[in-house]
Amino acid sequence: MNRTLSIVVRRLGSLLATLVVMSFIIFMLVEIMPGDVAQMILGQSATEEAVTALREARGLNDPVLQRYGRWISGVVVGDLGESVYMQGVAINSILWRRVGHSLVLALTAFIMFVPLSIFFGVLAGVKEKKPTDSIVSFFGLATMALPEFVSGVFLITIFAVQLNWFPIVSVIPIGEGLFGNLNILILPALSITFVMFGYVSRMQRSSMIQVMNSDYVRAAILKGMPRNYVIFRHALKNALLPTITIIGMNMGWLFGGLVVVETLFGFPGMGSLLMTAIKTRDVPLIEACVLLITVIYSLSTMITDIMYSYLNPRIRFQGGQR
Amino acid sequence: MKRILSIVLILFLALPMVFAGGDKEAASTEKVVRVAEQVPGLITPGVWDGQAFSMNSSIYEYLVEINADTGALEPVLATSWSTDTGRRWEFKLRKGVTFHDGTPFTSADVKYTIERTQDPALGHLKKQDFEIVSSVETPDDYTVIINLKEQRPTFVYQLTDYNMAVLSSEYDYASLGESKPMGTGPFKMDQIIPKESAALSKNVNYWDPNLPKLDKILIYFVADIDASISMLESDRVDVVPFVTPVIKNRLDSTAGISVISPYQEQRFIAMTVDMKPFDDNRVRLALKYAMDPEIIARSVAKMELGDGAFYNETPIMNSLAEYKEIPHRGRDIEKAKALLAEAGYPNGVTVELTYASDHPFGNDLAQTIQELAEPAGFNIELKGYTRDIYLSQYWLNVPFSITGWGGRIDPSMLLALAFKSGGSWNESHLADPRVDALIDKISSEVDPEVRTGYYHELQELFYEEGSLINVQVPYLVAINDRVVDYKQPITMLPQYKYMDIK
Repeated sequence: MNRTLSIVVRRLGSLLATLVVMSFIIFMLVEIMPGDVAQMILGQSATEEAVTALREARGLNDPVLQRYGRWISGVVVGDLGESVYMQGVAINSILWRRVGHSLVLALTAFIMFVPLSIFFGVLAGVKEKKPTDSIVSFFGLATMALPEFVSGVFLITIFAVQLNWFPIVSVIPIGEGLFGNLNILILPALSITFVMFGYVSRMQRSSMIQVMNSDYVRAAILKGMPRNYVIFRHALKNALLPTITIIGMNMGWLFGGLVVVETLFGFPGMGSLLMTAIKTRDVPLIEACVLLITVIYSLSTMITDIMYSYLNPRIRFQGGQR
Repeated sequence: MKRILSIVLILFLALPMVFAGGDKEAASTEKVVRVAEQVPGLITPGVWDGQAFSMNSSIYEYLVEINADTGALEPVLATSWSTDTGRRWEFKLRKGVTFHDGTPFTSADVKYTIERTQDPALGHLKKQDFEIVSSVETPDDYTVIINLKEQRPTFVYQLTDYNMAVLSSEYDYASLGESKPMGTGPFKMDQIIPKESAALSKNVNYWDPNLPKLDKILIYFVADIDASISMLESDRVDVVPFVTPVIKNRLDSTAGISVISPYQEQRFIAMTVDMKPFDDNRVRLALKYAMDPEIIARSVAKMELGDGAFYNETPIMNSLAEYKEIPHRGRDIEKAKALLAEAGYPNGVTVELTYASDHPFGNDLAQTIQELAEPAGFNIELKGYTRDIYLSQYWLNVPFSITGWGGRIDPSMLLALAFKSGGSWNESHLADPRVDALIDKISSEVDPEVRTGYYHELQELFYEEGSLINVQVPYLVAINDRVVDYKQPITMLPQYKYMDIK
């Protein structure tokens, strides 16, 4: 039996268990959130009577477990319910559009930071303690230390206000789609790149240094093989492992957790939707968003594990050669 | 190594080309106004929570509306109205009006709209105000007679409330109201993307052939006010309602953008008359003597007094015709101290001020009052809560509070709710037979001049013994100077039909 396959199966099982537990936790957390949805909807001028009537109509007076059951049985068949504010509009029709936008943004950021940070990480690792290394490491540290709402404002000031190359806000003009307006992705993706570059390039650098100092690389170099061949064929594959873990662990954040970046740029993605939902106490929408983000996190962790085991034969064949 | 380096380089050089969207300003002669609004909550009239005004007020219409310049009632879907003594109201309706779905507008729609307020399943926000209606008669398609249970000479003003938009009796608002709003208004909904944007276009069948002047209204729902302002500054939108005074200061120096205050909102600083220490009128007076209206205007509204921010000690807004000009008593700390000592607090008094900290102007107003009152011997402890928690858990049973009250063109309903003994939102627990009697006289008096006299009497009473300080803060709208004739009366409903582009 293929080891990787069994890892996949096991992982899927634990993913399912995680989701069940998480869905309950999410529901309970939203439940204990202060404030009353009915009061929130009706506002200051609402009468007690109106609030009670609305609570009754929305089924907010039912016991907690009953409401959890109603929600989760809908989720299982793909019905995320209706937003508190948009009766007659299924959350599905709001959410997936936003998920699509966020995926495109995440992919853009991914194409930007992954090659960039791996390349410079390798470069710094190979040129350890040389000026190149210092520059790359300094830059990595500096961008890592800047939170995205700071680097985002910097980017806006330079590229949107001063140079006027990109739009200040990443709002899709009404009547147009995201693909006609790909330029709105650049600045948010750049500010994500700023955050990720430091993490990934530093990880890549240190693992590169470690691998370059290992016996087998030294032997290959001493054997007289071309240096580039050794770096890219022998060293890189091993040195990539920790980097992949770091990237994989951040994929969840990249696909669902860009609340700050999306809000700052006004980008219509998952993160800003979650922000809106929380601000307006739109409970079903909060639950749907958080649950989806949990799914994305778990999935990306799972995929990372699988890739790791594929790339690292020690894990793949562990116990398999008995 | 070199090869990989060059591939990476080429990739990065190619990226900008893929993403270069460029500006696609379509050269067209269409008049389009773009608005950045807050993300709306419920938008179906009846349960509309009072956001997305630019959208709803363009789609829906009312029997009557308020002229933003004069404050007078103007006919819209009703062409004329009359009443006997304020019990029986007859409305003549406009002929030839159709809803956006093509159905004609008749008296049945008005009857439906008014009877809908009492629908128990709905939680209509005007339910209480329309409980006074005993029956609605429709003798013909263009006449409506509304009979009231009691005399209410100012009843017609109720019909300007934003939740009283006239709805079609044949349209399913319960399931379509949120996703496909439909009325008789000057603009109709083309497309709405929930929580993101809405596109409205001119209603070519509008009953007034000269209106609207715009072809399209594009509305972006933006959760973050700073992002909205960025859009305004980079010319991606033309109108941003609901800006804060701090943003106003920033925009004042921006060429091509103006910030206007079409109307004011009220903040009632309520002193509860049956809880310590404000159960003694001398303590209430002491607090009033410690106030300085000019400082309040400057530190809360960032404006001069009388310039979008107002102050008085009565429930009547300064901008209303019923308001009686009473000069401010002047800040007098010694007098305030003496009053406090007389009331039995020679060493000062400690009191908690409860308010909604996330409500516009909430924190600034609370802190200003705290500082102004401190030298007089008031040690005010600030208790700020988020608005929904404030309203559901604290409002109506704390000794000292700040609450936002919308401006109302007819203040009589507000008086009955907030200052009459037993009124459901009587936050200061006022139970004064003289006040009750005056409120009763005000709400049943048919002659406007006599009514105004009662209003003046009431305000004098409040000045001496009242339980509130009424600070009026500006509602601010930032607009591009290209957009002209932005009209928004105290009903909060902007009238986009008059708007034009230079």
